[in-house]
Amino acid sequence: MGVGREAWRSIFLVGWPQTDKDRAAATISSLFLHVHPAKVRRESLRFSYSLGLGLISLYMLLVLVVTGVALMLYYTPYPREAYRSMKDLEFVVTFGPVLRNLHRWSAHGMVIVVFLHMCRVFFTGAYKAPRQFNWVVGVGLLVLTLVLSFTGYLLPWDQLSFWAITVGANIAAYAPVVGDSVKYLLLGGHVIGSGALLRFYVLHCVILPGVALMLVALHVWRVRKDGGLAVPLTARPASVEETPAGRFPASTKSYGLMAVVDRPALPVTEMETDDELMTWPHLLMRELLLLLVVLVALHAVALMFNAPLEEMANPTLTPNPAKAPWYFLGLQELVHFSALIGGVVVPGLLVVALVLVPFVDRRPHGVGVWFAPERRVANAVFGSVAGVLVILTIIGTYFRGPNWHWVWPWLG
Amino acid sequence: MRERQTAPIWMLQAFTALGLAFLGIFAWIFLKEYFAEWRTRQAEFRTVELRIKDPHALSIAPPADGLRQIWLADLDRVDRCTTCHLGADDPDFAKAAEPFRTHAGDWLRTHRPDRFGCTVCHGGQGEATSYRAAAHQPLPHWPEPMRSPELMEANCGACHRERSPRDVAWLSEGRRAIAVSNCVACHDIPGFRAEEIRAPRLESVGYKVRPDWIGRWLKDPKAYLPHSRMPNFRLTPEEIAALSVFLLSQTAVAPLDSSPFDWKKADPVRGKAVFGDARCTTCHSIEGRGGTLGPELTKVGSKVRRDWLFGFLKDPFRDHPETLMVHYRLSDAQIGDLAAYLTEELVDPDAPPSPPEVGYLDPKGVEAGRAVFVKHACYSCHRFPGMEKLGKIGPGLTSVGDRLVEKSDFAGQPIAETLPNWLFVKLLTPDRLAPPSRMPTFNFSDETAAAITVALLSIRGKDLPASRVTSEPEPAPYRPQGPFGALVERYRCLSCHQIRGSGGTLATVPLDRIGSQLQRDYLWSYLQNPSAVRVSVEERMPHFNLTHAEATTLADYLSTVFIDDSLEQPLVMDATGAIRGQHLFERLGCRGCHIVGGKGGYVGPDLSGSAKRLKPGWVMAWLQKPQQWKPGTVQPDYGLKPDDAQALTAYIMSLSTAPERPR
Repeated sequence: MGVGREAWRSIFLVGWPQTDKDRAAATISSLFLHVHPAKVRRESLRFSYSLGLGLISLYMLLVLVVTGVALMLYYTPYPREAYRSMKDLEFVVTFGPVLRNLHRWSAHGMVIVVFLHMCRVFFTGAYKAPRQFNWVVGVGLLVLTLVLSFTGYLLPWDQLSFWAITVGANIAAYAPVVGDSVKYLLLGGHVIGSGALLRFYVLHCVILPGVALMLVALHVWRVRKDGGLAVPLTARPASVEETPAGRFPASTKSYGLMAVVDRPALPVTEMETDDELMTWPHLLMRELLLLLVVLVALHAVALMFNAPLEEMANPTLTPNPAKAPWYFLGLQELVHFSALIGGVVVPGLLVVALVLVPFVDRRPHGVGVWFAPERRVANAVFGSVAGVLVILTIIGTYFRGPNWHWVWPWLG
Repeated sequence: MRERQTAPIWMLQAFTALGLAFLGIFAWIFLKEYFAEWRTRQAEFRTVELRIKDPHALSIAPPADGLRQIWLADLDRVDRCTTCHLGADDPDFAKAAEPFRTHAGDWLRTHRPDRFGCTVCHGGQGEATSYRAAAHQPLPHWPEPMRSPELMEANCGACHRERSPRDVAWLSEGRRAIAVSNCVACHDIPGFRAEEIRAPRLESVGYKVRPDWIGRWLKDPKAYLPHSRMPNFRLTPEEIAALSVFLLSQTAVAPLDSSPFDWKKADPVRGKAVFGDARCTTCHSIEGRGGTLGPELTKVGSKVRRDWLFGFLKDPFRDHPETLMVHYRLSDAQIGDLAAYLTEELVDPDAPPSPPEVGYLDPKGVEAGRAVFVKHACYSCHRFPGMEKLGKIGPGLTSVGDRLVEKSDFAGQPIAETLPNWLFVKLLTPDRLAPPSRMPTFNFSDETAAAITVALLSIRGKDLPASRVTSEPEPAPYRPQGPFGALVERYRCLSCHQIRGSGGTLATVPLDRIGSQLQRDYLWSYLQNPSAVRVSVEERMPHFNLTHAEATTLADYLSTVFIDDSLEQPLVMDATGAIRGQHLFERLGCRGCHIVGGKGGYVGPDLSGSAKRLKPGWVMAWLQKPQQWKPGTVQPDYGLKPDDAQALTAYIMSLSTAPERPR
């Protein structure tokens, strides 16, 4: 008994917390928990505010890392062997199908959830000061999510992946001046072959996850740094309002995280207001609950739906229509009308506009609530752009047949 | 405030519910793995095994447990079929139910599973471990479902690239039909050399044929002449008219002048005798009787002009340098008689009276006809000056067995959208499928179309290692030189005979060792007056009316060059041996097929006079191993001991009375 307690303490530094003080200490002294404040605002805990989208993205990323590492054990990044690996996973690897399905559906799910997360942040005005930078990091993570998914798309080396990447790489090549060079750099050649597969593999399994993990760390840390989730002006503690941006409370003897957090330098136990709840257990329980929900949902989907695997890639046999991965079909739809607009202008402008959003819209109004009336114009603009993109993607996915002609999916 | 700082009860409930759901899902995943289809099959097999096998043997052999696979490194294939088909190589399971039954036939003996696996022959997805995924039935996104029995031979053909591999009748028939139909004229087809068929050249056809015949012919060649190799191009009346004008304008080489000949002296009756003497029916047929090497002649009188025919018979090589036709030594009178017979007796009773000749051909019409000629790629079979560079009109078929068919390919035909169906329908009715095709209609029977489908399906794009492929070597073309070569050329010996793998297959005897088989003097006289060696064979060597000098050149060359030294060993032949040989001859029943002294069967050659005809070394060798010298011969292999063979040879070589020569 004594040994167990001793071991527990040696690892977690504190015992199982019984008081709020202990709970705060447990949160702060743990590497994994210290990105949380000791207390969180009641509004921030409301599911209907955040919808948990950021956290879901994070969980999916974790699922992707775990399943991805497991898949790497069975995968050989060489054309014929890559496809063979997929077949082995499907037929002989224990739990192979579940592993692959989990990875596949989590990847698709993450693209959707990250996009929705961005929409949530915009519609709640949560990118405004002091969170401008984190919004930019978030835009970077959105792009990174798409690129990660895109590079992973090629790895099964079937017809679906081969031609989707061919189309995608050609969209990239529409960029003026550098387009062809970018494509060449990406593919390690002019066409997709073993060189491209190896590059995509290294990008997908080493470089991009590394960058993603660092950016995610930064993103999460900044959430904590910027005072947790955005809340309406009226709900903020006065002390925060009075703290000029960029000035940190003077450090005393503590060099812990608490010292530099942009919050009132008061002992946590003294901030006992109705509006705040202890992170332990309220936030942690909710986070764990959400993790369970995500895991159950993903496993259920992975059990019910198999990841697609078509014929082995055949460079001489072009499917008609050859479609990019679904999240680029909106762009492909635009490329169908104009390569320059769809391939360069629109995606370029979208990313630049997203990055500039918090620096253009600097009025501190309408933060922390959905569809604030003061932000009607901004929300309308963003909503229509996002809506058009979604509609184009749906059209490209379901309403385009051979030769990119219009088809009614229910008449197929 | 304090009570609010602990977790609310609903949260704990949610935790419990979700935790249980997660456990449930995990259990499901585990059970799914544990009750995998192949594990169930193997458990079934163990019960079947207990019923069939001797329990003692079972206690020694390890039980079927775990995945099994055959890895064919050189073919880059993994076959896991034996995970379930556990009795395939065990004869004890001949009566067991599938999937445990013993493999049919002795195919596993000739194609050992460890070297050939399963899917190489059967198709299907070898990597799979369930019935569905193994593509026993067609499976989405798996291009090679298991072959149905009627299409299995297509997989044989992927490795067996000979024209007619053993034991695969459909494949052989399909490949034969592809060669005979000259598909390579329009399509690149691996394994088929270009120009296996020589269609008549047309640059002088304006002199050759009657104007009204062209139209009747082009409308549907096979309807006009069932044995025609020319398919129906489904030409419109306008196209036929244009082509007629174009063809009539083709007058590159004028025929030999027949005007000095007085046609009044020509006699069809004598002509018919010439026709018989020259043994024209060896190559040409009339009303279904005769050979197929040359054109059918039943209605030739309604087709060709008499003047042209005269010139052609006098020198066939003049405007048809590549013809298989022999250049006979006939007198002008004989040629006139023959031409009269052909043009007056052999006419089409349905032919309308010839319209008057049109002297002037409209140049615009000629151009329009040329366009039709090019559009339908007539030059592919009828080589035409100025069109040599025009490419093959049909798509290459180098990986036709891998072609993916789409719904739109079928143009609404109510059949399952598979490649075999598409090929079959395309071969039968090329005009019914999308996109509209210029491929002509060959009037294939259903069986032939099915056979060609099998042969086409065997053509796969993927390269196989050379060690996996069997094929017959391509013979280097043999072209004899010098005076002998000139005679071979003139008398078109290679139209029928083979030398070193080159030449026709009509003649029963390849000439490679003819000098060791037949005596020189016999050859000399036979060349001048070929008698019927085998009474029952319809194809007879024609009478060429060779000069003595020509016969000498040929006989000398044949009996000095086409020699097999192993057959030239001297043999001791004495009277006692001959008598013993005669007994053997009667006892073995040789007379059932061979005539000696006017009595005997008609299957084999008449042996009377063998003393002057055959060489003893050859007779001896032939008697001992007939199949080795001529695969497929009906001559039985009696397994004669050398001294028996020698005695029989002595007897045969003692037969000196020449046979009566039927003319």
